[in-house]
Amino acid sequence: MKHLDVAGGTGDVAFRVVERIKSVSHRATQGTLTDMEEDTHIYVCDINPNMLEVGKKRAAEKGYNEEQCLSWVQGDAEALSFEDGSMDGYTIAFGIRNVTHIEKALSEAYRVLKKGGRFLCLELSHVDVPVFKDIYDIYSFSVIPAVGELVAGDRQSYQYLVESIRRFPKQEKFAQMIQEAGFEAVEYENLVGGVVAIHSGVKL
Amino acid sequence: SLTAPIGWANSVSTQPRHFVEHVVVRRTGPSAMASFLVARRLLCPASARRLLPCTSPPPSAPAALCWLSTDASPSPPLPVPPLEPTVDPPKKDGASFSAGSGAGGAYRTGQGAASGGRRSGGAGYEEEQQKVLRASLLHVPRMGWSESAMIAGARDVAMSPAIVGAFPRKEAALVEFFMDDCLQQLMDRIDAGEGELLKNLMLTERLSRLVRMRLEMQTPYISKWPQALSIQSQPANVSTSLKQRAVLVDEIWHAAGDAGSDIDWYVKRTVLGGIYSASEVYMLTDNSPEFHDTWTFVNRRIKDALDLQKSYKEV
Repeated sequence: MKHLDVAGGTGDVAFRVVERIKSVSHRATQGTLTDMEEDTHIYVCDINPNMLEVGKKRAAEKGYNEEQCLSWVQGDAEALSFEDGSMDGYTIAFGIRNVTHIEKALSEAYRVLKKGGRFLCLELSHVDVPVFKDIYDIYSFSVIPAVGELVAGDRQSYQYLVESIRRFPKQEKFAQMIQEAGFEAVEYENLVGGVVAIHSGVKL
Repeated sequence: SLTAPIGWANSVSTQPRHFVEHVVVRRTGPSAMASFLVARRLLCPASARRLLPCTSPPPSAPAALCWLSTDASPSPPLPVPPLEPTVDPPKKDGASFSAGSGAGGAYRTGQGAASGGRRSGGAGYEEEQQKVLRASLLHVPRMGWSESAMIAGARDVAMSPAIVGAFPRKEAALVEFFMDDCLQQLMDRIDAGEGELLKNLMLTERLSRLVRMRLEMQTPYISKWPQALSIQSQPANVSTSLKQRAVLVDEIWHAAGDAGSDIDWYVKRTVLGGIYSASEVYMLTDNSPEFHDTWTFVNRRIKDALDLQKSYKEV
């Protein structure tokens, strides 16, 4: 199985996928499914080479450098360098918010996925729960930039962060966009009342 | 009070009793069978006695699971006594159940903003899902009702195994698909002519024959059937498996032709459901050639149950 993790330079998702594959294949060897591990390859793609460097370092720390299954590729989510129908899975965690043209990223995702391949997107999203929404707004606009200034000396970045979350389409709208890109069985799951949402779709 | 007969059971006349069937729409491929079953029931002339106006959405809507909760609502000009309150649940507006299925056949309601259901284009996805599940069944005797079997099945139909991740409650999806498929095969066989053969037999023999027909479909998977049963009894899956069994038992009684019975509709189905489950479990430890002992077991249980009902009636 080939997996592509986009905007995942620091390797968070990729490492977890490696762990999961290894555990599944160990269980599966009892169930006669031995070819999963040999075929597995995970590509980590990021537009920023510095992030990729960080990821490679972390991989070394975790001892993944002997793993032949991790590749670090520099690339743009809107114009991937992978072939059509080459990936079984595509994940993008906290990255699609920063893409200029979301539709392009989605159609690229559609392009590189195989038939039956799964698209998964983890992203900060909108909260609609009545009281919690107000608390979240206050926290976002008052607390986060202030703490950012205190700790990192960078109020602007955190202000941008909070605003970009608000600018991102709502869960339903984003799900519609995913469907328009061609995916089937599109659904989403809210975590923490909508602070984070996981959208998924299948290419047929 | 389930033991008290429903009024209509006494009326052997051809006055049809209308059951209103409420349908909850859920996007699950394998269980789309049940909605198909309801449509079949409506078309079958023999079911005039239990006419079921189904409030399911039009065929263009995404595939649905019919949640069969039969509410008895008497048609106005009835000579028979009215239903007892306990057997006459309040009339529910079909719209309140199918609310989520409106608007482009979009999403599950309830749970507020917790999650959004699947979008349309469901027909293609459901088909592919069924293809994968059907191919997976071939691997079940070797690998059990597991993800490995489904991954192998996906490979067989040239699908990426990643699609298995999108199935709701994975192994349960496979088991439920199998149950639906068996039910469909049973109905096809009945319609194709075996139903005619049944007409010459007594009621007990008809029921035995039908239960046997259905249980025989499980023989290729018998070595892994305990696993299937345990999957079905998990809390997340138990409601669907109960519904499927209810539909199965209903179908068997329907094919056996439950005419002229004084026995409560619910009791009949419950009793047969119990016999079916007991036989299913008995079959797991039966080593006799061609499950001969299981069929004997089935015959005896059915005979005992019906004799008991007769004696009760006599009393």
